[in-house]
Amino acid sequence: MGLFEKFEGTAAQLKGLLAASPRDPFSVSMDEMKGPTRAIVKGKEIVLAGTNNYLGLTFQKDAIDAASEAVKTSGTGTTGSRFANGTYAAHRQLEKDLAKFLGYEHCIVFSTGYQANLGAISALAQPPHDVILIDADCHACIYDGCQLSGAETIRFRHNDPESLDKRLSRLSRDVKGKLVCIEGMYSMFGDVAPVKEFVEVAHKHGAYLLLDEAHSFGVFGDHGQGVCEADGVRDQVDFYTGTFSKSLASIGGFVASNHPELEYLRFSSRPYMFTASPSPANIAAASTALAKISSDNSMRERLWDNAERIHAAFTQLGFELCAGVGPVIAVKLANREQAFMAWNMLMESGVYVNLAIPPGTPNATSILRLSVSAAHTENDLDIVVNAYTNLSQMLAKEKAET
Amino acid sequence: MTAIQEDDDLVFHKISSLLGPLNEKGVKLTRDTDIIADLEIDSVSLLDVVMDIEDNYDISIPVNTISEIKTIGELVDAIHKIKKEQS
Ligand SMILES: Cc1ncc(COP(=O)(O)O)c(C=O)c1O
Repeated sequence: MGLFEKFEGTAAQLKGLLAASPRDPFSVSMDEMKGPTRAIVKGKEIVLAGTNNYLGLTFQKDAIDAASEAVKTSGTGTTGSRFANGTYAAHRQLEKDLAKFLGYEHCIVFSTGYQANLGAISALAQPPHDVILIDADCHACIYDGCQLSGAETIRFRHNDPESLDKRLSRLSRDVKGKLVCIEGMYSMFGDVAPVKEFVEVAHKHGAYLLLDEAHSFGVFGDHGQGVCEADGVRDQVDFYTGTFSKSLASIGGFVASNHPELEYLRFSSRPYMFTASPSPANIAAASTALAKISSDNSMRERLWDNAERIHAAFTQLGFELCAGVGPVIAVKLANREQAFMAWNMLMESGVYVNLAIPPGTPNATSILRLSVSAAHTENDLDIVVNAYTNLSQMLAKEKAET
Repeated sequence: MTAIQEDDDLVFHKISSLLGPLNEKGVKLTRDTDIIADLEIDSVSLLDVVMDIEDNYDISIPVNTISEIKTIGELVDAIHKIKKEQS
């Protein structure tokens, strides 16, 4: 009884929204995958435009072969943590390869990106003398890392280095370690952090900067090292976190750094020590995707071409977009109800995007988040633009009627 | 009225005016109003209101403190305490 009452408000609200919705956006099942950009949902082929498959590598042949081979030679699972029996040669090699690709001295592989942030933040900052400062729009795993750490946590305004500057200035002189956490590209709106300014402000106050490039790794910068490369400050980032679950098309996460002390995390980070390591197939797929990204810029070029096409088309259709050209193109809608209706309509037109409603969205906005992939074909994009054209006409009609 | 009481009223009024736009049901605001339960606002919106308070008073209110606050009165008290510590 007592355990469940707290869910009732949200459950009732969701039920109300779903009652008016032909489909449930939060329990879509991809019944059959047809490739990186297509799936069968309830008997109908859908274009996938709400994923994190930015470089489109989920069906890359070499990665599939490497993962299959790894299962055969190293087994289906490691059955242990990195700290015990779960570190294979391939885990170590991938750490070296990631460090080399990003230009850092040290790298630690975790089981997911969530755990990489959780593990880095909770181990680095500890109460009572350390303070964590986080961008207000940081991902849940950064907030959770702060909570697990228990250190005093202060939010600053999203993408606002001056707001961070003020908060760092206010800190008492008794504070020992200061850890600032930001992201490269933010996943919901696709907006990009002024990383260079943040580095300057953080270092001016003697704080360390942790940058989560989960969505920007492989996508931004001339070599795909992320927003920090594009901003020319890659070597000044203290802790670079990332995930295998987006452009690397696998499962896993990592933290990279030039600080040799990063190695301390291996015996102090609970999310590193107390969970099983990524399976051999996950590691092999991520390693192969990384090699592909290192040697071939064409996916990144195609991604940006596709992003430009969609952004221009949506701008022309008159949609209110949340950010400039980039791999995430989010459309702002008037409210939850309109967002549900729009999402259903896109599904009817054969396009899956992500529906995001408050709480959990910045500024309590309701959005449809579209992600572009290098694997999207001309035909995929035609279907997407067609579906949004129908949507814009319907919204215009709705507006005219009210 | 003592200076403390007066200051108390000012802080209370400031918070009330910041919560105003979120108070969709027009609940009467008192020191005992439970911000999340009575006003039916989500925890993220509360964090955003607190950001405005921080900038208004030039103080930093840690997330750890906010998560322990339930009522407007508790928020007023926390602001006083932090103002004193950080001045
Ligand atoms: C900013 C950010 N960091 C970390 C993660 C977690 O990544 P993973 O899926 O590897 O746990 C995500 C993904 O949801 C993310 O958006």
